[in-house]
Order: sequence, then structure tokens, then C-alpha cells
Amino acid sequence: MTFLHNEPPHPPAVAARPEPTSPQGGEVNRPQERVRVLSVLVEDGSNTLSKVSGLIRRRGFHVLSISVGPSHQPGRSRITLQIDHGHAEADQVRKQLERLVEVIQIEDVTGEDVHSRELVVAKVSASEVKGLVERGAKVLDTGPDGTTVEFAGEGKDVCDFINELIRHGVLDVARSGPVVMRRTA
Amino acid sequence: MILEALEREGVEFIFGYPGGANLPIYQHLPEHPKLKHILVRHEQGAAHMADGYARACGKPGVVFATSGPGALNLVTGLATAYMDSVPMIAITGQVASTQVGRDAFQETDVIGATSSVTKHSYLVTNIDQLPRVIHEAFHIATTGRPGPVLIDICKDVQQASAERINTERLDIPGYQLNGHVNLDRAREAARAVANAERPVILAGHGVILSHAEAELREFAEKAGAPVGTTLLGIGAFPVNHPLSLHMTGFMGTGWNLKAVQNADVLMMVGMRIDDRVTARLADFAPKVKTFIHIDIDGSEMGKNVRPHIELVADAKNALEAMTPHIGELHEGRGQWFSQIDAWREEHPLKYTHSNGHLQPQDVLIDMYRRCRSEAIVVADVGQNQIWAALWWNYDRPGLFLNSGGSGTMGFALPAAIGAKIGRPDADVWCVAGEGGFVMTAQELSVAVEHQLDIKIVLLNNFSLGMVRQFQDDFYGGVRSQSELTHMPDFVKLADAYGMPAVRVDTFEEIGPALDAAERTKGPFLIDFRIDPEANVYPIVPLGKGLNDFWEAPDK
Repeated sequence: MTFLHNEPPHPPAVAARPEPTSPQGGEVNRPQERVRVLSVLVEDGSNTLSKVSGLIRRRGFHVLSISVGPSHQPGRSRITLQIDHGHAEADQVRKQLERLVEVIQIEDVTGEDVHSRELVVAKVSASEVKGLVERGAKVLDTGPDGTTVEFAGEGKDVCDFINELIRHGVLDVARSGPVVMRRTA
Repeated sequence: MILEALEREGVEFIFGYPGGANLPIYQHLPEHPKLKHILVRHEQGAAHMADGYARACGKPGVVFATSGPGALNLVTGLATAYMDSVPMIAITGQVASTQVGRDAFQETDVIGATSSVTKHSYLVTNIDQLPRVIHEAFHIATTGRPGPVLIDICKDVQQASAERINTERLDIPGYQLNGHVNLDRAREAARAVANAERPVILAGHGVILSHAEAELREFAEKAGAPVGTTLLGIGAFPVNHPLSLHMTGFMGTGWNLKAVQNADVLMMVGMRIDDRVTARLADFAPKVKTFIHIDIDGSEMGKNVRPHIELVADAKNALEAMTPHIGELHEGRGQWFSQIDAWREEHPLKYTHSNGHLQPQDVLIDMYRRCRSEAIVVADVGQNQIWAALWWNYDRPGLFLNSGGSGTMGFALPAAIGAKIGRPDADVWCVAGEGGFVMTAQELSVAVEHQLDIKIVLLNNFSLGMVRQFQDDFYGGVRSQSELTHMPDFVKLADAYGMPAVRVDTFEEIGPALDAAERTKGPFLIDFRIDPEANVYPIVPLGKGLNDFWEAPDK
């Protein structure tokens, strides 16, 4: 997992899908843009998350971020994953996850035209947080020990926001992985 | 309820071992005389028996084990079946659902321990789930790319009763089968093979699993393309066929490797293209302009080799769809066949047989002379496996069974027992080295108890032969821990189990010993004490490409 304050390898929210760079014909998979973003609809069961994460580990992939929550369909959850596919071909992440019976639907949205949102909730020592509010933060509470704020945005904006927090005497940060949704228009 | 469900699925045999957490199932077993239970001596034996049973007769093998150590003893057997896509159902007892997570006696997270070696697994904590789960499990194990499915059933669920519910309808949204063949790609693939100057087809286990051997043969004959097989694909194409290239891979035949390395179109069907097939990947099939890959599992596409034409489909359906589109063949085909014939003459299979020692090939050649295509050979892992693969002309599927992907020593004896139970009409020969044999030798009891007519051929070279060969050739000649100096007297061991056996030290004794084995009803063991220096050839040195294969030295 990637922890706080590490620059996350966020997907470009609006970008052309990269040309397939895998070599044709018998060649070993070469390192390339190694981060895939996947939106996975799964059966909500006690084994599901461990099967998904176990598969990612044993295929030599690496979870950079993961967000899980119920979907609008009963008994089904949505997992949003950022995965480093390591030495495997980029498409292997989707293909391998597809083999799990618990996985109902999977979309690789890397480089696709999607909304990508991450949530950060932070505590700062400052009571004046004008700079944060100007960036779009919402104040959740203020007390004698400081202020709690929340901010949602794309990965890069969240990173910028966290850098801004440092100037306000950051005390603690909790941050989600991204969730993604294809754009309507 | 579990046993009724198994009867509904058409189960005849269960390979199992009782224990604390599956006793409720065993309590009711005598009420189901249609379910014949084979009591093994170790749960690993049960898993390999179920595996051998499934490979021999095509039906899923069923295994019972208790929780904790019982279930964990299945892991190697599940991994073996998973790597080779063998349908199997493992039903393990789990502690009561109220005890799960409390480190109860013999509690192990079996789902966690087996997730990576099963196609799917279920933890059943509620009786209402059970009928659906069992029906689903059989469906998943036997369809698509087959594999083992584990059902971990809490003890209180085993004791509960529920109304029988209708399980006819399956609704598994996350399990879709690839039935449809992309016809444009099938045509493109067929034309690519036909238009090739130097085509080669490689066939894997998938051809056997989808019963596509007739379709493969028709396609190959019409397309004028020579066919090699992987180790697990042996039998998918007759070795005696004029188009046969025999076995491929880093211990494949010289003419096969020459053909693969010079092919311009390589069609690989029902196989994973693993490292044992390619050797050094960067040097694999360097002249190929078009790789064609056919496999039912889409994740195999590009996993090791990125194909130019991919067909995610059942091998039989794909080949059926391709054959009508072959059309005109490239005019250079005659020259290609002459070239392959030249390689076949230049690089024949050969072995040393003038040093006074008994050679394993002598044993296998005599066995083959007797059995031809009538017997099932179940090999263990190591040199014995490759000798049994190369020195026998298998002409149809299901005659050569071995642990290919996982390379599990100790596989042969229990798998041969399972194969004999699955195919009681067939002669079953178990070919093993003494190293692997002692890993599961306790299952001799099962062969004797059921008087199973299996003939055990020990190729006893007083060492872990393949390890010793690798050490000699690739690890500085240091024979570290590969010589087995203290092993049982195998004739006495067999005798202790109540099984007749003979020892063979010379070439002259081979025939009489095999005569005795054939005459004897029930199990029989022959301890062939072979040349301790006998090696497997051809072999590609570790880290090298297929071009660099070594052949048997001329002596």
C-alpha cells in the first residue's frame, strides 16, 4: 500500500488512452506505464477482498490504492483499485481478476475519460484556514486544538491540498483511495 | 444432505480420511452404498488419487478431509490439480461456525490457505447455502478451464438439516464461459497456417481436456502442419503420425526444437506457453512472424508470449471453426517436411546402453513392446517422468498421466491408484523414481486393500536423479544431498504391505520380471536398479534457449 504523503500515481483524469506499447511477437513484457486503474464490481462476501488482494499479490502486482464500498445493487460492492502490474503485461491485471468467480464485472479505466475523486479529512493546528477553504476545503469543526477539514478532488489536487495543509500545521490526515466514474458527457 | 447432493452430481468414488470436523458426514456414509469411499493413508494421497481418477476417466475426483492438518495435507494435491487444470471437488470439515476465529482445536483458515491453488472455494456456514454451493462447485470445477474447487463446511452445518431446494438453475454472474469462437479470427488463423512456409503446431493439455484430438488431427493433416505436444499434451496427437514432432520444451526431441526454432508460423493450442516449453523466452521461436494462440482462458493471452492472432475459445470449437478455411497451402511445404525429416535423422532420441548397467530406456522399451496403446502410464516427477514421456509412443489422450505444471514428487502411486479406479478396464503402470515413491509409499496399503491391478515400475537410481543431473551439469558438479544412500529394500517393503515384488539388476531379467507383473492379478512392484549415472537427453541447459539443447553423448 502507498501511505500518506507519498505522491500517488494518480491517473490523468482526461487523457487519451495510451497506445498499446506491448511488443508483438514472442517478446518479454517490457516495463511501461505500469499503473492500471480498475473499477471492479464484486459479490459482497467475507472472502472477496482477500481473494482479490491475494490474487494481486501472487501474480506479482502491487496495490497502490484500494477503495471498497457497497454498490447500488444489493449484495454487490464496488472496488476501485490502482495497481502496479509489475513485469506482467498491463492487461493481465484485468484478465487475472476476471477469472475470480467473485468478480462480476471489471473495467480497466486507465487513461479513460473518468471522474476520479479522492477524499481527505485532515486536522490542522491553525484556527484560521482561509487558504484551505479557498482551495475548496470544507470546515467540519473548529475547536481550541485546531480545525478539521475535508477536501475531495482528483489525486493531484489532493496532493496539492496536503502540501498546503503543512503550512497550516497539519496534525493528522486520513485519505481515501480514488473512486472513479465514467463521465456522462 | 451433502452425500445426497454428491449422489445427485453422479459421484461414484470418494477418496478421503475422517477426522473430528467431518465426522457428521462419515456418520451417514454407510447409508449411501452408491458412494464408494476409498480410505487413504494420508490426505495428500486422497488428492492425488482424485486427480488421477479425473485425468483417467474425465469425471471430477472427490476428496474428503477434516479441518486443520487434514485439509492442509490436501494443499499439494490441490496445487497439482490446479496447475494442470484437473477437475476436483475437495470437501473439508471446518470447526463449528460459532467456533470460527477462536483458534479452536484443528482450526485452520483453509480458504485462506487454498485460495491460490483452487479455481474457486466456499466456506459454508449456513445449511441453506449448501445445495446451491455443491451444485455450483461441480459446475465450476468441470466447465471452462477445469480445476479444483474446495468446499469448507462448518461442522454444525454438516449436522443441520434443511429442506431440499431446487438447484437446477445456476446463477453465477461472475462465471462466464467462453463458448463463442470469433469466426474472423478463426479464418485468419487457418489461413496463416496454410500460407506459412514453415508452420508448426504445438498442442497442450487443453486439446485433451476439450476432446479435440480428432479436430486437431484433421486440421493438421489438411493444413499440412507438423504437430508437437507439451508434456501434458502427450496423447493429443499420435507420436507415430507422420506429422508428429513428439514432445516439445526444454527436454523435448531435437527435431521438435529445431522445427519450433525455425518455424515462421507457430500455432499453440490449449497450452500456457510456460518456461518449460519456451526455455529462455527471448530466444523462443525467433523466426516466427505470426504467433497464434488458442486457449479457453483469456488470461493466457500475452501472459508469456503476445500472440498476433488470439482465439479465446475451447480448442475443439476453435479447430472445428478453422478447418474449413484452410484453403491452398504454401508451395514450400514439401521442403519443410524434408527439412524436418533431416533433423529427425540428425537428432534422434538415443541413450547409452553399453556400460553394463541396466538402462531405464531398456525397461520402458520392453514395457511399450508389451502394452502398445492399451495401458495407462502414470509417471512421477523427475527423470522417470521424461523417460516415460519420450520412450513410449502414446497415440491417444489419457494414456500418459503426470504432474506437469506443479512437478509434484509422490504423485505417481496415488494417481495410479485413482486412475485404476477410474478406468478399471485399463492396465495401469506406475513409473516412479525411488525418491518420489517413498514420499507417498504409504498408499501401497490402498492398492493391496482393494487388490488394484497396478504394476509399479521403480526406476531406482539411488539418487534424486534429476537433481543429481542438474548438479552435475549446471551447479558445479557438487552432488549436494541428492544421493539416497539409505533407502528401504523395496521388495521387502512391498512384502510388508502384502504385495508381491521382484528386484531387477540386469537387462536379461527385465522380460521375466515384466512377465511376472503381467501374470499377477493385483498390485505388483518391480525394483529396477538402473544406471545411477543415467541422464535425460535432450536437455536445454538452464538459462539457455531451445537451440542450445544437449543430446545424449555417443558412447
